Amino acid sequence: MSDAIEITGLAWKAGQSFALRDITLRAPAASIYGFLGPNGSGKTTTIRMLMGMMKPDRGNIRVLGMGVPQQMPQILARVGYVPERPHVYPALTVAEHVRYHASFFPRWDAPTSRDLMVRFGLDPAQRISRLSKGEAGKLLLLLTLSQRPDLLVLDEPTDGLDPVVRRDVLSAVLDYVGDAGASVFISSHLVHELERICDWVGVLDGGSLVAELPMQAFKNGIKRLRVAGAAAGESASGLAGDPGRAPFTLLTREPADAPASPETWIVRGWEDSMRAWFAGVGLELRDVVDLDLEDGFVELLRSSRPSGEARS
Amino acid sequence: MYEPLLFIHWKQVRIALLPFAVAAFALPLLSIQGLGAPPGASGLALDAYRASAALEIWLPLYPTLAAALGVTLALSAWNWDHQLKHVHALSLPIPRWQYVLRKMAAGAALALVPALALWAGALLATASVSLPEGLHAYPTQLALRFLLATLVAYALLFALAAGTVRTTTVVVLGLTVFVILVGLLAAPLATLFPTLDRVNLAQWLMESLVEAPGPLEVFTGTWSLIDV
Repeated sequence: MSDAIEITGLAWKAGQSFALRDITLRAPAASIYGFLGPNGSGKTTTIRMLMGMMKPDRGNIRVLGMGVPQQMPQILARVGYVPERPHVYPALTVAEHVRYHASFFPRWDAPTSRDLMVRFGLDPAQRISRLSKGEAGKLLLLLTLSQRPDLLVLDEPTDGLDPVVRRDVLSAVLDYVGDAGASVFISSHLVHELERICDWVGVLDGGSLVAELPMQAFKNGIKRLRVAGAAAGESASGLAGDPGRAPFTLLTREPADAPASPETWIVRGWEDSMRAWFAGVGLELRDVVDLDLEDGFVELLRSSRPSGEARS
Repeated sequence: MYEPLLFIHWKQVRIALLPFAVAAFALPLLSIQGLGAPPGASGLALDAYRASAALEIWLPLYPTLAAALGVTLALSAWNWDHQLKHVHALSLPIPRWQYVLRKMAAGAALALVPALALWAGALLATASVSLPEGLHAYPTQLALRFLLATLVAYALLFALAAGTVRTTTVVVLGLTVFVILVGLLAAPLATLFPTLDRVNLAQWLMESLVEAPGPLEVFTGTWSLIDV
């Protein structure tokens, strides 16, 4: 099996204000795929369609090689899902909910469930309505990991959790992935969180997938360049954005403060060997600065928007 | 997979179910109170006429209790799922129709609790009276009718409550508009089609629902603990 998730041409519209536009993405099997995007970009809607909870207007979705929604029961038996908000019955105790949930999953791993209960410090007799946000998050993960899924779909699983709980949750996910060789599809708007764990990253903005690439390429390929000698008024696309002329993608170009000062270019797909290209087009590359992932993310969003504005 | 759904429904409705069970048990016993025993009689020797008249007062309470129980079971069946926007239910690896059927079956099973309580109350009540000649006790039939009425109310409301608020509103509004239109259009239609003059549409609609073989006949039929 090549891909854990394959989405092709996914489209959905809600009124005039929100739409998913022709999303095509592939999350390779046995990888951790980070689904990045600002709030309201469509991450949760995409995930709900992935889980068969919403019907797209157009497009195809396959999960673990099976079609959505035709084979949903078979898919759900092999997928562990942590939704954006806790979906557990508040009037049950932790133990009651674990028992209830377990009865639906043939591969339920009771020893793992007990181990996680201890590891997460959850009280089986505690009513779910009285759990803290962190405890509720841990319970969701306990339920999900004890299913022994082949694919984990986690929708902002650490949102609102304190750093200690966040670390506990992510390390439990990584332990499971290391042990079971499962795939993970994790959404977040917290760039640094995904930076540490993901192999692949897809960036969603305004309902469109604006980038999909290996995390390493995303981390290393976005740079801030200081370029002197660029002709005033020459369009960015004419100079460096044209793939035929530049070996990288120019995301943004900030004009110089003064006529003699260099311009700032934010580029994607940078490699050191590309330095030589500047001399060939009569430009002087003065400096190459690494951007951290968050800056890269913001620049990527800025470049994908007509107004050039990036939301946080 | 049926038992967990039964457990979940039981957890939701158990507190509400208790007063229903108590009321169902007490109703037959209350209905025979005040039928005084003649001096020297070993049990309650009932005069047939007095017994019928006294019991009749209590009869409307049986279908009312059954309807209220059915509504309570139906609403509670979906209450938690609605609160969680059905996310947990939709993430379970079973076909949705199976989930709905099992959930419905769980609620139907819970209807047995007050029905059994009513049966016990009815057996006790009828055992404590001496029936005059010509009268018979029907505790089992009464309990079965109660169960059936509860299930009818439950099934109707279960289907309605399963939908979104929008769907439910559309269905209820649709039915209301239909009933109003039937009332309003009866006279003009009778003018246009003289043969309709002999038919009262609103009355016809009501009779179709509540008289045999209408679906709601179980509520309006004979509810007798003691009868000829």
